[in-house]
Amino acid sequence: DSKKFKFKTMRQKLLESADVLDDQIDSFANIIQQHYQFDSFVFGNPAIASQNEIVAIGRIVPDSPLIPQDAILNSDSLYLETSRLNGIGQRVPLNLKNIENYSFFLGQIVCLKGLNPTGESFVVKEIIQLPLLGAPVTSKKELKEFNKLQQNQSIKIIVCSGPYTSNSNLDFTYLVDLVERINNEIKPHLVIMLGPFIDITHPKIADGSIEIPNLSKQPDTLQDIMKTTVSPILKTINNKIQVLIIPSLKDVNSNHCAYPQDSLDKKLLALPKNFKCFPNPCSFQINEILIGISNNDIFKDLKDVTRGDSDKQNRFDRIANHIIEQRRYYPLFPGSMKTKKVNSIQNNINKNEYSTKEEELIEHISGADLDIPYLGLSEFSDVIPDILIIPSELRFFARVVKNVVVINPSNFMRQNSPGTYVVLSISPPDLGENGLTKIDENKTTNEDDQLYIHDVWKRARVDIFKT
Amino acid sequence: TASNELQPLESMISDAERFKNSEYLTLQCSCGSSFKFGGIQASKDYMITHHGVQCNRCSTNFSNLRVTSQLEKIIRANISLYYSGWLYCDDVTCGIVTRQISVYGRRCIGHSGKAHGCKGIMRYRYSDKQLYNQLLFFDSIFDVDKAKKRSLKPLYEEQGEEDKENVKPITQGALDALCEQNRDFFDICRGVINRYLNNSGRRYVDMGSIFEFMVPEQKA
Repeated sequence: DSKKFKFKTMRQKLLESADVLDDQIDSFANIIQQHYQFDSFVFGNPAIASQNEIVAIGRIVPDSPLIPQDAILNSDSLYLETSRLNGIGQRVPLNLKNIENYSFFLGQIVCLKGLNPTGESFVVKEIIQLPLLGAPVTSKKELKEFNKLQQNQSIKIIVCSGPYTSNSNLDFTYLVDLVERINNEIKPHLVIMLGPFIDITHPKIADGSIEIPNLSKQPDTLQDIMKTTVSPILKTINNKIQVLIIPSLKDVNSNHCAYPQDSLDKKLLALPKNFKCFPNPCSFQINEILIGISNNDIFKDLKDVTRGDSDKQNRFDRIANHIIEQRRYYPLFPGSMKTKKVNSIQNNINKNEYSTKEEELIEHISGADLDIPYLGLSEFSDVIPDILIIPSELRFFARVVKNVVVINPSNFMRQNSPGTYVVLSISPPDLGENGLTKIDENKTTNEDDQLYIHDVWKRARVDIFKT
Repeated sequence: TASNELQPLESMISDAERFKNSEYLTLQCSCGSSFKFGGIQASKDYMITHHGVQCNRCSTNFSNLRVTSQLEKIIRANISLYYSGWLYCDDVTCGIVTRQISVYGRRCIGHSGKAHGCKGIMRYRYSDKQLYNQLLFFDSIFDVDKAKKRSLKPLYEEQGEEDKENVKPITQGALDALCEQNRDFFDICRGVINRYLNNSGRRYVDMGSIFEFMVPEQKA
């Protein structure tokens, strides 16, 4: 519901934040109890000594509230935070020496079997897997209709993610080239464009040394750049092609500077009818295919503590797996933060910079900007998307994780060089013998009501192109 | 709110008092000079001409975009700092500063990390009120009517007499003229700030929650 994203920002209440963090633990406790049909007495408080094995549910937190943002965690530095209900919010050291295989990160909700013999630490015996949401399904009747609409053609989607200029200028030539290719070569059904379109952390914006080439009058504000420079390029996309615009927390054109983030204002951007502005994160359907998109760089930010097989697994697979298990697009807490050390002799006039040492100041640049009371809007609905698109400034990739197609198109423009974008083609649903997976439990007399899993991972092809 | 003292209405406090803790807008010139900008008032670093801001070191005029982009960048850095969610413990014997939040919110996690033992109360270090005031401060320095009345937060209050002597005050006639000549551009700057102020939950009082007691309960 996109209206819910219109909340006012800059007004977080600590108690409301705490309610949400508490509820994340308790709602997983309910999910686990229902799924495994545990008796309620097997659940216990891991922070107090007991002679019996218990099941504990909580959040992975650090052993010290003072750990620096960039600290490298290890298996000795993790605590488990309990909810108000199951452990009056206490945090207990985790002893993981008996566990051969794990991947833990700060903010993760976990279910652990073990015991606390001395009251000092919770000795974990077993990790209980969080149950997964189901895949989306569609009836035969609807799938037939989609097939008719598509005339048995593949659906073609372009995905690209900002920045759209290099770090040394605000020149959008490469975007002009892309639009040309969209109109004349690729001819997709849909273009998904993620911000930042104009990046507030761009070095030329930070010092104000901006010059927009080929303009008779220089714009007065950063918003004007979008209207005078970027929108005119976007408008030349063939108006039969649908375009989706999703903001970034770094977008100059967003004044909702918090995640979850409201959609951009299409009217202010002066964009035509074939454009739609969606919030960040969002999920939507193209025919039967459910696509989930989040523009907050979890692949870069999430750093886990691993051991065993998890350690050998591809890191992107592991993180995608966490997102699917945790049922939210940005499960890390606290969110990431980017700062810069500045010399206090030159910059002693800014009071908001805080001092770590006498002679060193830290300037805040950007971050994941989580509005915690509204994090519920960043949770999956009742199913796992068929396709997950989460741009990262790390190298592009497309992988299949838990039958979900996970895509990082990476930046359209890198710092000093062209970047990448993605062309996604999905063949139409095949209802024949070797086609989509039938849902067996759904026994029905009417053939048309038969439900199918979309199996998009079997039908999709992801091509990554250089900008 | 726990205080029983009578507080003056926010609107009656002077800008100097109200924005005591607000950060100045730092402007950086193409010559490398950077200085605090306090609106149309006398400064040793910059001058306001009928073309806007001029750097005293190199006599270059700032383009509109040079001012608005630096203004917007600093607003966004402030909002992001607010959202980084730093908390501090009010017990001086503890005094931790952290981004960890207990499921009780105000409870201190303490140096032990175990969320018991310390009786201190956690609060946001950069409060929404502080952020709101910061944005209002940026708005005030582009308010030409305040400049005319010389009611802006002074640039040099806490500094030595030396600074004051080096800065020649602007005569009222010149001040009035400069204010009118810069009004259009300063309004553009205020437009930038107001985009963010309009999205601030602090600006809007939630009437629904205040008058909740008057709304008849919904029957299920």
